[in-house]
Amino acid sequence: MEEIFNNLYQMTAFSDIVASNGTYIIMYLLAFVLLYLGIVKHFEPLLLIPIAFGVLIANFPGGDMGVYQADETGRIVDASGKVLAENIWDMSLPAIAHDLGLMNFLYYMLIKTGFLPPVIFMGVGALTDFGPMLRNLRLSIFGAAAQLGIFAVLLVAVGSGFFNIKEAASLGIIGGADGPTAIFTTIKLAPHLLAPIAIAAYSYMALVPVIIPLVVKLTCSEKELRINMKEQDKLFPPTNKMKNEKVIKIIFPIAVTTIVALLVPTAVSLIGMLMFGNLLKEIGSDTSRLFDTISNSIMNTATVFLGLCVGATMTVQAFLNWTTIGIVIGGFFAFGLSIASGIFMVKITNLFSKKKINPLIGATGLSAVPMASRVCNEISTKYDPKNHVLNYCMSSNVSGVIGSAVAAGVLISFLQNITL
Amino acid sequence: MITNDIFGALQLMVVGMLTVFCILLIVIGLGTLLIKLVNKYAPEEVTSQKPVAAAQSAVQQVDATVKAVIDAVVAQITGGKGHTEKITKL
Repeated sequence: MEEIFNNLYQMTAFSDIVASNGTYIIMYLLAFVLLYLGIVKHFEPLLLIPIAFGVLIANFPGGDMGVYQADETGRIVDASGKVLAENIWDMSLPAIAHDLGLMNFLYYMLIKTGFLPPVIFMGVGALTDFGPMLRNLRLSIFGAAAQLGIFAVLLVAVGSGFFNIKEAASLGIIGGADGPTAIFTTIKLAPHLLAPIAIAAYSYMALVPVIIPLVVKLTCSEKELRINMKEQDKLFPPTNKMKNEKVIKIIFPIAVTTIVALLVPTAVSLIGMLMFGNLLKEIGSDTSRLFDTISNSIMNTATVFLGLCVGATMTVQAFLNWTTIGIVIGGFFAFGLSIASGIFMVKITNLFSKKKINPLIGATGLSAVPMASRVCNEISTKYDPKNHVLNYCMSSNVSGVIGSAVAAGVLISFLQNITL
Repeated sequence: MITNDIFGALQLMVVGMLTVFCILLIVIGLGTLLIKLVNKYAPEEVTSQKPVAAAQSAVQQVDATVKAVIDAVVAQITGGKGHTEKITKL
């Protein structure tokens, strides 16, 4: 009788969970916290909920839903040291599904190949309006300043000695506040860090309503936050008014793709897909069916699989270590520095320009479209209910997407082929 | 090794930030040029005239019927001497 109960106990996940000294419990708690943030607090629910559920299902011993990370030679070893695959790159997809489980099949087919991030960028492009950016072109430059956090954290991470330069670049890209860009860069440079970097990137994006007000409070005065952009526009009217917005919006994505492709070819997978999605939107009725597909069906499907697969990479073995803690801390500084550098760029511009700019426009230079702009608009209306800066913030916010993709392109082109 | 990496990271920082600034400056310049060119050579938005025309013809149809009735009334009252010049909705 005792033997039967013992066998039953061994059959369930309890035996491994109890033997793990609570590490699995930590992962379940993490999954529940992420689910709580997504469901109750509504922090990026479309992403956080699939990621959180992926974390949950990946951490049931015997469930075979956790993603195994291959080393540089393609070798996969489990926690007990057992070799599961000598070279995963020689395995067919059905063999991966059969030997390593469904989630590894999805991960190696959709994520490891770098397929999903550009697909999501295509959907993001379809949902992006470049109108505010084109109406306030000069403000777009703050989207460049806000990429400083990426490179500053890269430098500090390398200096700390905990990360090699490829890992540090993947950590720094969290400062771009762009999930697909962070994932795309990490897949290319440090795929073994994909789980903590994706989680940190999406968690901080979800925490934009907390982080931006904190950085703004530390760096801006009330007088600066009261700068009314519409009044400034009346005093110093913009010189370039669009007479035919539709034509400009159609030519713009084609022109930007061509220029970026010529200067930073490694960024084309992201910028090209972003602009392709946007072009389909701007053409209008002729491509409305394609626009509808990429902005709904494809985007939603990609988000579901990306979220689940990223969550499933967060297994006990991959997540509970000092590297992850370093990434969580470093990612926060990258994020904060990006916001602060955008703000300081505005302050410097205000020193030399008669037309004053609200520093909140610099704070939105990191991506996180459109949440960063909405948060900044809330901050400005708190000080002056008539001071709506949303449209102005969207200019630097959208250019931040281009800026972070270009920064990722630079990192990939410089570091992808170096051997450590 | 770390010194080399720090040097590499510094180099990346300078090159990366310069590239991002250059690309966005080019995008700004490109956008400005595009706006100027489109404003000069294609300033008007081409809007479809069909719905307006259809609406106008519908109005004309109603007007034609109303006009026929009014013409008949005017002819009756004036004994065929008067004619309708203008119809205004009150």
